[in-house]
Amino acid sequence: MKFLTWFKTKWKNEPLFSTAIALIIMIILQTFVLGFDYDSFGSWFESWTNNWINILRNNAGIGIIALGMTFVIMTGGIDLAVGSTLVATGAFTMILLDTGTKGILGMLGMTGIPAFILTIIIVLILGYLLGALIGVTITKGNVPPFIVTLGAMLIFRSVTQHFMQGYNPKVPMEFLEIASFRFGNYMIMPIIYWAVIAYILYYVSKRTTFGRQIIAVGSNERAAKLSGVNVNKVKLRVYALMGLLVSIAAIIQVSRVGSMDFSNAGRGMEMDAIAAAVVGGTSMAGGRGFILGTVYGMLIIAVMNNLLNLFGVPPFLREAFKGLIVIGAVLLQRKEKTS
Amino acid sequence: MLVDMKNIVKSFGSNHVLKDVSFTIKGGEICALLGENGAGKSTLMNILGGVFKQDSGSISVDGELVEFNVPADSQKAGIAFIHQELNLINDLPIYENMFLGREKKTKRGSLNLNGMVEETEQMFKRMNVELDPKRMVRELDASYKQIVEICRAMMTNASIIIMDEPTTSLTEQETARVFEMMKKLKDENVGIIFISHKLNEVLEVCDRYVVLRDGSLVAEGNVNVVTTNDLARFMVGYDVRTESLRREKHLGEEIIRVEDLSSNSRFRDISFSIRAGEIVGVTGLLGDGRSELFQAIFGAEPVTSGKIFLNGDQVKIRSTTQAIVEGIAYLPRNRKENGIIKDLNIIENASIVTWSRFSKRGVINSRKHEAVYEEQRKSLRIKMDKHTDRITSLSGGNQQKVVLAKWLAANPKLLILDNPTQGVDVGAKEDIYDIILKLADEDIAIVVLSSEAQEIIRLCDRAIVMYHGVIQGEMAGELMNEHTIMNLATGGVLTKEGREIH
Repeated sequence: MKFLTWFKTKWKNEPLFSTAIALIIMIILQTFVLGFDYDSFGSWFESWTNNWINILRNNAGIGIIALGMTFVIMTGGIDLAVGSTLVATGAFTMILLDTGTKGILGMLGMTGIPAFILTIIIVLILGYLLGALIGVTITKGNVPPFIVTLGAMLIFRSVTQHFMQGYNPKVPMEFLEIASFRFGNYMIMPIIYWAVIAYILYYVSKRTTFGRQIIAVGSNERAAKLSGVNVNKVKLRVYALMGLLVSIAAIIQVSRVGSMDFSNAGRGMEMDAIAAAVVGGTSMAGGRGFILGTVYGMLIIAVMNNLLNLFGVPPFLREAFKGLIVIGAVLLQRKEKTS
Repeated sequence: MLVDMKNIVKSFGSNHVLKDVSFTIKGGEICALLGENGAGKSTLMNILGGVFKQDSGSISVDGELVEFNVPADSQKAGIAFIHQELNLINDLPIYENMFLGREKKTKRGSLNLNGMVEETEQMFKRMNVELDPKRMVRELDASYKQIVEICRAMMTNASIIIMDEPTTSLTEQETARVFEMMKKLKDENVGIIFISHKLNEVLEVCDRYVVLRDGSLVAEGNVNVVTTNDLARFMVGYDVRTESLRREKHLGEEIIRVEDLSSNSRFRDISFSIRAGEIVGVTGLLGDGRSELFQAIFGAEPVTSGKIFLNGDQVKIRSTTQAIVEGIAYLPRNRKENGIIKDLNIIENASIVTWSRFSKRGVINSRKHEAVYEEQRKSLRIKMDKHTDRITSLSGGNQQKVVLAKWLAANPKLLILDNPTQGVDVGAKEDIYDIILKLADEDIAIVVLSSEAQEIIRLCDRAIVMYHGVIQGEMAGELMNEHTIMNLATGGVLTKEGREIH
């Protein structure tokens, strides 16, 4: 009985409680579906862990982008351009590093670690600037974020595709270590990046003026402005941060496979990022959002995909389940709000 | 028609909102329903309007017992509820608003626009309203919106109309327009329940009053035998001051001087100066430009020409952030839209202005600002449970004190208060006046923008009256009375001897 009342109050008052419960249920379900048909505990555990590492690694890039999307949505905005920014920054990474005759750093005689570091710095700056460009257009031009990022989505991808036509840059093998470095048997670098960024952004959202200002701007822009919050600066920084995070995801993606399909990479990514944030309790109206919730949301969607895979659900039907999860999650959160 | 609510009891959880309240209203009378925020007025009316269901007690209409389970039941019985936040769609014309939800259709199923326009016109004629039914609701001022709502209620053949604080956002002229309408309805044998915090309006327009306090009916009777003092006493349970609060003043250095400040059409050629420890009232009717003027001084609106001096130095204020650094604080009007941020908790709302002071490289030191807030909470007498509770869990008066607290944390030299007691009950109002007087003693220059002449007269050392974006006159002492203020606010002028000419 005591447990029941504890559970009820938590369910009602803790915004992330139902999301966490949903995640735990899915993990338990997944564990059972994977089965216990192993010789020893050790081999079961290894198989279970490997499955998890695969899930996390495959979702690290989009997971990082979803974190930035959470901030964007919390200010009352949206960023549809993340997929195209990913392609643009990814392409730039490859041009810089190309071991062929057109590689920019190669032409300048730079190779190895210094070239890698310089590439990373330049690409991060580029991502930040592309995001800032979106932010400036939104704030100074006073154009709705949906419109600006819709335009940017078309522009960034189209320009990238045009310049990358018939050009196949080769990324040096050593660069792939960034994502593919192994600890023993485990390839977990992308997971580490995701975890570190999630922790930093969690801290930013909870303990810094920037994090609080994001909520203020999204919840009541007028009141925030009249309280001396520089609304435009907050928005600009949120979109720039989004661009920066996308460029990190681009570097991870390039370093995982060494190439990128510029016409298809990142397509639909914005919707996946939004879905993760929404499942994690972020309100599309702005003002309300949780970094930790987005991590949960991403994991719920990822585990569900894994389950559908294990159950052998036909590929075309999988998106439907994703849709159900998104709507179901919001329905669950509904009753918490009205109390 | 006679509506009789008997022994109504209603609780929300452990909160007993109504404890055995009986209330009657009949056609052809205007009855004031009074009480502080949280006294149970809204709950009682929501029960009558079918929004809530009573725990026990009965409602009868013309002697017949009725059950109101949903608002439609109540409407069918002839009761119309005009909420404080009007239910009009700004982007539809008046006539479509009049028929919202029960549109007239032609035989083929499309909208019968002409029919709706005609019926609206007839209703306006009957109610003596001069309005073109084809105008968009967005273009109407607050009083006409109120009037459209009333006409809509009349269109549904309402015999009892509940009006929840209809005059809160109206100027005195607009209020008069609504009152005329109410008297007209009374002649048509409609009963009106008038919820208001403005007691002098109650005396002016109502026949009867009913006062609730803490969920019980504490007084009722005819208004012609009571004064506003009596009513206020019934509401709070003790005597309320109405005497002037002006005190021995020790004026300090000049804090702000404004010379020929203009902004396009919103205000023109504004000049004044305010000294430390002075409380200056600024008033006027709707469209006087006072809010725009002070928002411009605060950096939230643009200025086209003119100069602002702070402590004798000329400054150009380009943003609210800069204004705060310069020592200006602005408590906005319409707390819900401009003041509070509902997704932040109480202490975060109280510290949003001063975050930068409580943080190092952007990281907030919460212990430090909790200490500051705790001190403020005591001195401002903010009633609350935990400082991490939601801001919306507080009453209007306490919310306003939290908004005030956030500005006081910034240690302003000039404090601009725009309608500081809007939507605040009588007790909290006096608290806020006390705080303002105390702040003046601490040598802060204070500007009080208010549409209530009484508030200006009681609180301020000096009053500036604005009319259509210019300063129409300025007065102090004996001259500061409701009559003079009203005269200036409607465009009259003061002569040198202090006599006014209209």
